[in-house]
Amino acid sequence: MLNFNIDFTGEFFAFFLLAVCAIVGAVLAVNFTKVVHMALSLAFTFVSLAGLYVVLQAEFVAFVQVLLYVGAVTILMIFGIMMTKHQSEGQERGRPLLETLAAIGCLCLFGILFYAIRSAGFAKPDVPLPDNNTLSIGKLLYSTYAIPFELVSVLLTVAFIGAVALAKREEDQP
Amino acid sequence: MQRYWDSPVSWGHAGIFLLGALAVLAVVILFVTYAIYFERKVIGWMQFRQGPNRTGPLGLLQTVADVAKLLLKEDTIPAKADKALFILAPALAFMPSFLVLAIIPYGLHLQFADLNVGFLYYIALSGITTIAIVIAGWASNNKYALLGGMRSAAQMISYEVPLVMSVVGVAMMAGSLNLRDIVLHQAGYFWHWNFIPQIVGFAVFVVAAVSELNRTPFDLPEAESELVAGYHVEYSGFRFAFFMLSEYIYVYAIACLGTILFLGGWNPPFPQLDFIPGLIWFALKFACIVFFLFWIRATLPRLRVDQLMGLAWKVLLPLAIANIFLTALGIEWFGKGG
Repeated sequence: MLNFNIDFTGEFFAFFLLAVCAIVGAVLAVNFTKVVHMALSLAFTFVSLAGLYVVLQAEFVAFVQVLLYVGAVTILMIFGIMMTKHQSEGQERGRPLLETLAAIGCLCLFGILFYAIRSAGFAKPDVPLPDNNTLSIGKLLYSTYAIPFELVSVLLTVAFIGAVALAKREEDQP
Repeated sequence: MQRYWDSPVSWGHAGIFLLGALAVLAVVILFVTYAIYFERKVIGWMQFRQGPNRTGPLGLLQTVADVAKLLLKEDTIPAKADKALFILAPALAFMPSFLVLAIIPYGLHLQFADLNVGFLYYIALSGITTIAIVIAGWASNNKYALLGGMRSAAQMISYEVPLVMSVVGVAMMAGSLNLRDIVLHQAGYFWHWNFIPQIVGFAVFVVAAVSELNRTPFDLPEAESELVAGYHVEYSGFRFAFFMLSEYIYVYAIACLGTILFLGGWNPPFPQLDFIPGLIWFALKFACIVFFLFWIRATLPRLRVDQLMGLAWKVLLPLAIANIFLTALGIEWFGKGG
């Protein structure tokens, strides 16, 4: 189960660097006390994850991830934080029982995931992967999956109009 | 790049990457130095004055002297600023601006990374600079800086939408987001370049691009008369230099993108002229776009905040969407590239 055979290719270095960055970002996001710092380290994790997608040769997913999560979601969070108060929150008291339980739960989850990943076999697909995967994603999205795609766009439009309607109503009754 | 991917890492490969990056950095810094010089000269001539003419022959060393001054200046950090973020923000603004240069094809074989989502890469990374600007405004702990940062974020997010939409037409005609394929699609006479069949998209692209660059007439984040200087009020010395540098690198990147997407990249205007190397054609078109940016800076007044947002959402976005529909109809009726 624990057979690690590693050759030091560029891919290996890129993976390790990005994986460490993603974990560091996530840990810092939990540990910082100021909310802006948390949002920024979350953005750092998002960027590292995008880098991991690039290592997997999923460029389209990677850059959409950066565009949406870093470019839009993080900026929205920072905007929201700036509008609210500036001072950092006080430290909460530690709760030893809860923390111990959480730690045990985390260790169990890690064990299960580690076992599952090490014992899973990743079969190679029969057909070779297409050379230009962005092109094939686009073709699949607009032919085989056209109806789900359209449904999602209708859902987004409804949410958009709903948001405008809610904002308008608040504006009308000050 | 793929061939370095699977082979074992050696110092030689790392050295090749390092040399490539240093070469681009040198070219870009040279560009920025003389873009600032020409910007001041051109605006000077348009306003019937001389522009810089004292330092060095014809004032050619003016920017060098300015940069030296910035580097030697005392580096101040406000006492109540958020120190870590204040220091981080200029670096965070500069990094993506330099990274976007990796995908720009200057010629058929002169490109660092041949990415199949080239344009998306540019848009995604330029969003990180927006974060840096907001963070700079917030970390300075100054109300003018915060307002400037907020304005900048709102403006850059709003104008990103029409910018992306205006390029969709080009991507549809070329059938690819890869910048090299887009240029190859425009081969032939100059009426095959995208700016004629995609004239609406080109117009939207230019307006949205000027706004993305935060330059006059859309320089509200730095409006001197109302906001002192915007998000970099508290910055001085080389941190300020970094913000300026990343701003001018984006000018470089947008001018390259405009050349590639709409002006045919390295293609000559007539196929008979292809004995002149493609790099020269690329440089000529690039220089035209940069000059155009200086020109509108010298001649147009600044917009009001409310007009700015209205322009993005009520004019540019509908135009860009209409352009996508028209392009789709055109491809349906006349076939690709019609």
